[in-house]
Amino acid sequence: MKVFIYPTNSLILSDLVERFGHEPLALMAVIGKKIRTKGLDSPPINVTPEDPKLGLKYAAVEVPSGVRGRMSLFDSLLTDAEAAVIVRDPVISFGCMGCARTNELVNFLIRAKKIPLLEVDYPENEDNAKEFVYKISEFLKSLKPAEDKK
Amino acid sequence: MESITKMLVINSRDVLPSDIVIKLYESNADISIKETCFGVMVTGERKIVDEVLTKIRKMDPYGIFIKERGLAPGEKFRCRATRRGGARPGFHNLESEDKILPHIGSALRALDRGEIPELKKKIKKLDVDILKEIIKQELEAQS
Amino acid sequence: MKKISTNENLVRIAQLSCGAEYSGIQGEIDSAVKQVHAVMVYPEVDIEDIENIEEEFGLKVASADLKLMMARAKSIVAGKVQVDAVFVATCFRCAEAAIVRSEIRRYLNEKTGIPVISYSFTERTTAGTLLTRMEALTTTARRKSLLAREKQSGLTAGIDSGSTTTKAIIMRDDKIIGKGWVPTIKVLESAEEAFNNALKEAGVGREDIQAIGTTGYGRFLLGEHFKADLIQEEITVNSKGAVYLAGTQKGSATVLDIGGMDNKAISVQDGIPGMFTMGGICAGASGRFLEMTAKRLGVKIEELGKLALSGNYQNVKMNSYCIVFGIQSLVNSLAAGSTPEDVAAAACHSVAEQLFEQQLQEIDVKEPVLMVGGTSLIEGLPKAVSELLKVKVIVPENAQYIGAVGAALLASGFISK
Repeated sequence: MKVFIYPTNSLILSDLVERFGHEPLALMAVIGKKIRTKGLDSPPINVTPEDPKLGLKYAAVEVPSGVRGRMSLFDSLLTDAEAAVIVRDPVISFGCMGCARTNELVNFLIRAKKIPLLEVDYPENEDNAKEFVYKISEFLKSLKPAEDKK
Repeated sequence: MESITKMLVINSRDVLPSDIVIKLYESNADISIKETCFGVMVTGERKIVDEVLTKIRKMDPYGIFIKERGLAPGEKFRCRATRRGGARPGFHNLESEDKILPHIGSALRALDRGEIPELKKKIKKLDVDILKEIIKQELEAQS
Repeated sequence: MKKISTNENLVRIAQLSCGAEYSGIQGEIDSAVKQVHAVMVYPEVDIEDIENIEEEFGLKVASADLKLMMARAKSIVAGKVQVDAVFVATCFRCAEAAIVRSEIRRYLNEKTGIPVISYSFTERTTAGTLLTRMEALTTTARRKSLLAREKQSGLTAGIDSGSTTTKAIIMRDDKIIGKGWVPTIKVLESAEEAFNNALKEAGVGREDIQAIGTTGYGRFLLGEHFKADLIQEEITVNSKGAVYLAGTQKGSATVLDIGGMDNKAISVQDGIPGMFTMGGICAGASGRFLEMTAKRLGVKIEELGKLALSGNYQNVKMNSYCIVFGIQSLVNSLAAGSTPEDVAAAACHSVAEQLFEQQLQEIDVKEPVLMVGGTSLIEGLPKAVSELLKVKVIVPENAQYIGAVGAALLASGFISK
């Protein structure tokens, strides 16, 4: 299944989803595609002034351009998500995940999608980490692999 | 076919980035390899990269972590060397996640041993009436 | 526009920003910076710096990129990176970022002497919009000692070629001795006329002038024609001129300049511009609106201000700030029996409100608030601004010559000793 992860640029989440046989929907892949398909004419990540306009689908002009630009990157991930893992109070992450308003909106849209969803707390020590990994693995195992889908 | 980049972050007692690089070269796969301070970056066709990395992961399943990277290695608009100064934002992400990789590694190990961790209950905020009572008692004790 | 010579020192500007890449305008920033012969640098920080910054800075925010901005500011203060100037930029309409931007600017002002420009962008921000800001920023960095000048010395001239009027000033030993003010018709001819008038009043010859500074729209053309020592954009010059004329050179100040066709709101620290907005977004917020009102009332523009002082804007219902529809409202009120005094007051109030709506969105209003430029002489306008902003508004003497005075003052730094 295509699993949306939050924070969506997380190494740990992306790794776990892949490890347990699913496809992580990560922003890195979107940015990679953006950079490769258009040639680098709007450095550094090829987001152009047109992208925040595409973000109008999610938020009006009164919402800052940086939020709308980020939302345009999230667009395909939100559409494709079949399940999601959201980490609560995650470790701070930057760039595409660096804006709290965008993150609030993205989390809301994922919850509103009513797809299988796991919300877990970010681990601080070894014990928490065990619980964190266990919950995520159980959740991912409960999802049907892509080929089993009817 | 489009070329993607995946990064391997290594937090292992047994495997060094250089060991992985050697193994990658031995695979003879059509990929390009870059050793970095945190691990290795591998660029190539998605299918080929994924196949190779599935094998590489087995070198230390608890110490090798993999994610895709948007930019190709050494991308001049993002590279610290050509961008004058501080790291790209993604590097700080990696820095902060790297800190708990040892815990994630041991959690994966425990999972494979079949351990089921004790699930902690979420601690709720103290009820305001109880807090009031405690304050009252504390004040009485002090006077 | 004339490009900054590549012979000038390369200026290293630290970029502290959130959202620029995701608004698609990083390329525009880089392009503007290149045109002023500068480069953007990104101060080095590590994850501990970012994790601890909220405690150290005392400002807790939800967005990680804003924490990164604060950590980078701290890295500059700690001297981990050598930069000549700082550009602080975040998305327009982000409240969290606006607070961080303002506090970073204050922090850098307090802890370092490095010039800072603060800006809030949208996806429509272009290199052209950023250029004046970058020009002001790099000038401040390159000419720090010149901008520290608090007194005029020797015999100097300043010429301000504005869109509506051209002003010239002759100064000697920190005193204004000659003034010229003519409508701008042809840039060079009008400047010649204004300059000659000022020279005549001062009783000096052109050959006696030791240094000349030019500013305003026509600054490059005039600079070449008069072989000026200083050619400078009006943000830097007006900031300096305003605090000089008002005698408030130290500390913070806010400069409001409602021009004939565009206007500026500048947040000034020690005579140096920090945050500012400029541009002719709306003619309803310009001197032109008052000119048209005066014409409709059949009075001279010089008389409109006094008229407004004895009127009450609340007696006139205005449906629009627009120079077309707003003026129509005023005409309708006259027809319905409103007094010219009330209509004049309503016009001043309308311009003040539009200034508030369009220009002051990103500027903290710190006292003293100085109103300058020709429109500041229309008494009803500073009064309306004062009522609206709940602050005392100061109109310094010779406020209409602001740019020319600033240019003459700064030009005196070029007199060889």
